[in-house]
Amino acid sequence: MEILRTENVNKIYRDNGVPVQALKDINLKISKGEYLVIAGPSGSGKTTLLNLLGTLDKPTSGKIFFENSDYTSKNRKELSEFRLRKLGFVFQAYNLIPVLTALENIEFSMMLLGIPEKERRERAMNLMAELGIDDLADKKPNEMSGGQQQRVAVARAIVNNPLIVLADEPTANLDSANGSKLLDLMEKMNEEKNITFIFSSHDKQVIERAKRLIILKDGQIVNEN
Amino acid sequence: MLLKLAWRNIWRNKRRSMIVIGSVMVGVIALIIIDGLNNGFLSQMLFNQVDLNISHVQIHKRGFHDNKVVQSFIPDKKKVEKILRKNGKIKHFSERVVSFGLVSSAVSSSGVFILGINPEDESKITTVSKSIIKGKYFNGKGREIVIGSKLAEKLKVDLGGKVIALANRPDGSIGSEVFRIVGIFRSPSSNFDKTYIFVPIKTLQRMLGIGNNIHEFAIVTQNYNLAETVRDEIKQELSDKYEVLSYHDILPLLIMQMDLYKETMYIINMIIGLALIFGIINSMLMAVFERVNEIGVLMAIGMKNGKIFSMILLESLLIGIVGTVFGVFIGLGLNEILSVQGIDFSLFSKSLESWGIGAVIYPHLSLENLITTFLMIPFITMLGAIYPAWKAIKLEPVAAIRYV
Repeated sequence: MEILRTENVNKIYRDNGVPVQALKDINLKISKGEYLVIAGPSGSGKTTLLNLLGTLDKPTSGKIFFENSDYTSKNRKELSEFRLRKLGFVFQAYNLIPVLTALENIEFSMMLLGIPEKERRERAMNLMAELGIDDLADKKPNEMSGGQQQRVAVARAIVNNPLIVLADEPTANLDSANGSKLLDLMEKMNEEKNITFIFSSHDKQVIERAKRLIILKDGQIVNEN
Repeated sequence: MLLKLAWRNIWRNKRRSMIVIGSVMVGVIALIIIDGLNNGFLSQMLFNQVDLNISHVQIHKRGFHDNKVVQSFIPDKKKVEKILRKNGKIKHFSERVVSFGLVSSAVSSSGVFILGINPEDESKITTVSKSIIKGKYFNGKGREIVIGSKLAEKLKVDLGGKVIALANRPDGSIGSEVFRIVGIFRSPSSNFDKTYIFVPIKTLQRMLGIGNNIHEFAIVTQNYNLAETVRDEIKQELSDKYEVLSYHDILPLLIMQMDLYKETMYIINMIIGLALIFGIINSMLMAVFERVNEIGVLMAIGMKNGKIFSMILLESLLIGIVGTVFGVFIGLGLNEILSVQGIDFSLFSKSLESWGIGAVIYPHLSLENLITTFLMIPFITMLGAIYPAWKAIKLEPVAAIRYV
């Protein structure tokens, strides 16, 4: 089932007044449950594409459809609501809220959805147990290792059962053992919960595990398999 | 959870938050001290007059308050006495003969209000008996007189000295009497000390040739706040031959001044709030710019602008509440100490005494102003976060996440 489609997406930045084509005629179709990696060298447009798919940025031209609805014309508030309900994010630098504990970080997006405290606590605890990170519940980000923080970030991304999880270079700040553990976790979630994962990465072990790989070069898809 | 997040965000930079909380605290303490002093100043000005002479409620023959002619007697003294005795809200009352005349010594003379009183009753009404600095308060017999220190200075007389009092009688003739000074008082009002003299009521009645007639009933109620209720109750029982006045009616300008002062306190609150607001804007802007990346992440995970805006406003409000609570506690403590010890303004005693205040001011807080401060300062602190919060929600998520 197709959940995401892009049609002739272009993104042009202005760098000191000079136009720079970051993405050119991107046409993509992504189905539910995919485990997709967007790879390519630095400056190829991976993060730009991920930001567009995450509705954090808008294309200069072209359209992006989620479940056949055009999201390029939505306003800020609608996009915010969409991200809250349908998307999960995993960032390179983990980006947990430093003043909240791991449990509270996971609860946070449920709080934004207005889920009652008791229910969200229960759901967060169950998910932490499932991911094997329940011992981190009361720890704040500065009390956790990078790998632990990124696992909590994954829990935060999937706790609202999103349509898609977008992970921008999730293993870039981790050593290979921790990176591998994290990827195991995301693969497990993809297989068991049928959550769609879209990665941007140039990490070899991420690319090797891709079930679908898209290679970008100079803002264009040059290879897909 | 938003409240929890806001609270924890405040303590991310303890030093900065403590400085802002400290500035709010100092502002609140200043407001409490200013309010205590101003209110004490006005209250003393009002209640010194009430306690020295005016009392809580006065009864006269209609028109006496504006035109104190000697023949304006209370029409039915017994009837009034009966009404006053049965009113449970009245603590004490005293009969007075009030006359304007001249008092002379061997070297000088001065225009004065001559009050004929029964000292036993009057000592329960006014504080003159407690203000004697030389001699004693008289026993109400014979030709004893109590005068103020300023008048004694002017007449160049002292205890045991003789003065002659002169005043108009109802028939137009002049009544006079020689009095021996048995007491000299000093009140907080130099004007009162210069213009009021007290003599036994019987002696003054004889001097004026008015028999047993009196001009005034001075009444003290169970507390100041009952004055107007008691006035209205007495009014209902007396015909319109009488005038019944509370101290509000007798000192309308002072009451207006006190009301006006309450309005002024709003302005003072605003001024101090404005001074605080720039510190808050600066501090909250720093807090926002330090967290650009985090705000970007919050936006990315779906936190709406309204919630981000509220979170920053809430942080500022919490700072305001903490600063105000500590400020109120410290301010109340200081006020409590000062209200017992008083603040000595002897340097300005001349002008203060001419206003009837006295050289020592005892701060007195008004609950209404305290509540205003308690509500207004945190609110103003919250307003200070509007611009930083607006800056926060104007951030673009992509740029904010990448911000270093």
